[in-house]
Amino acid sequence: MNPASIAGSLARVRAIARVTWLEAVRQRFFSVLLLIGVGGVASGLFFREFNFGVSELKFIADFGFGGLTLFGSIVAIVGTAQLFFSDIDNRTVYTVLAKPVHRGEFLAGKFLGAALVLGVFVGSLGLSIGAVLAWREQAILETLIDIPDSPLVSYATVASLVLLQAVKLALLAAITLFVASYARTNLFTVVVCFVVLVICHLQPVAQEAWRASAALFPRVMGGALALIFPNFQLFTFKDGPSIDGRIPVGDVLRVALYGIGYTGVVMSLAIFSFSRREL
Amino acid sequence: MSFSRWLSTGGVLLALVVAGAIGSWFVSPAWTRIRQHDPALNLAALEDALGQGVTVALLGGFRSLVADFLWLANNAAWEARNLPKSQSLIRLTTAVDPRPLYFWINGARMIAYDMPVWRIDEQSNRKVLTEKARRQVDCEQAEVALELLEAALRHHPSNPLVSIEIANIHLRRLGDVETAARFYRAAASQPGAPGFAARIHAELLKKLGRRKEALEWLVAHHRKLDPQDPAALAAVVLQRIRELEESLAIPRPERYQPGP
Repeated sequence: MNPASIAGSLARVRAIARVTWLEAVRQRFFSVLLLIGVGGVASGLFFREFNFGVSELKFIADFGFGGLTLFGSIVAIVGTAQLFFSDIDNRTVYTVLAKPVHRGEFLAGKFLGAALVLGVFVGSLGLSIGAVLAWREQAILETLIDIPDSPLVSYATVASLVLLQAVKLALLAAITLFVASYARTNLFTVVVCFVVLVICHLQPVAQEAWRASAALFPRVMGGALALIFPNFQLFTFKDGPSIDGRIPVGDVLRVALYGIGYTGVVMSLAIFSFSRREL
Repeated sequence: MSFSRWLSTGGVLLALVVAGAIGSWFVSPAWTRIRQHDPALNLAALEDALGQGVTVALLGGFRSLVADFLWLANNAAWEARNLPKSQSLIRLTTAVDPRPLYFWINGARMIAYDMPVWRIDEQSNRKVLTEKARRQVDCEQAEVALELLEAALRHHPSNPLVSIEIANIHLRRLGDVETAARFYRAAASQPGAPGFAARIHAELLKKLGRRKEALEWLVAHHRKLDPQDPAALAAVVLQRIRELEESLAIPRPERYQPGP
């Protein structure tokens, strides 16, 4: 492959990603979920009197990241599946693939477009979480007589957690494209991907069952599940941020690389599967 | 399904297995640290809550909120004196979100101090309970509370408040001074322990008749206290040391002399 053909391929991928992004923005689904997500993060303020066990800031952060995970997963699965199947259902895919565009370029463009949508979504909600935390932190500091030496919120930690959520959702979008590459309907893809999402979150439990069980069949099943599905609990870091402490940078990078590597593998499989699909 | 299709499906699964194995190996140092901080990911910790909504909480979102709702439901059950429901909800709340100490401590207090009264009241409606039967109820509930606090200790091993709560239940509900003294000592040895833990440990040693040991403990404790910190109550500790020295008839020259 010469540099000119690589540049041409990248240009085609970029063009498809751009069209995918524009299509996503035009769809009300993304805008509505973005508004609901930001509203959900802000509504954490109404529940702050409701927290029993944790500090107000921790509760707001937990609530905000809960919203980010929930709505982000919906965007990653439903949004990506819709963006893929709209081209199949409207038969635009035939027009695109009739041109000198490889199926892999088409799918990579779709993925990058969906990843851009997710990036904007996660960034917006991350900024909302940071803004709400900063506002409440300031208000709490004003009421304190003894100002603590360390800040109440580590924004570096919040940013790390937002980054990890973005990587996780990109991986989820790649899984959605992989399922969509052989699925016949949008509904099937969405249902399967939500099941996969639950499995990926409970994967550590399967791992443990795998190790704990003496019987062969559960061990094999648990081991297979643990190896086939990525571990999404990795991206949550204590299932919610320790907003007053720091997460080791090495761990954040390691988990981010794990997610990026997995995304690469899943996308390669999606391209392999899509290239063999009868359209 | 044709052979080539089987082959490609097998190839895809193999690729996923290889990616999973390499990924697990690569990320294992970070995963070990995450697991240390979040023991709720253990299968054993989830057994209390599986199939009861813990999946929702485990999906990474709204864990605090789910636990808060469960705690509210527990409060309603507690007001209605519904023992099985309240006890189950306490376990479920701590399984969903084991991070806040509030749920563990208050749950244990409900089980150890309130629930025996409910059980005794309910049984007394039918017959007058003997002292032995009342004691039996107290012990049963205390055991349940201690079991909960032992789980709390696994989640919060360095928090002295859990050890103090265990000590209190041994002391007040089971009348076991020896074990209570041991847990107060454990609490006092942990960083950030309240000063009263060390003082109560000494009082319990006195109660057990081990006054010399109590004196040695208090002297060692006093040496570590900051005389400038009013919350440390160094003067109170010194006074107790003097009382013990007096009761043990220790000659004046051999008595403890605090530093400048």
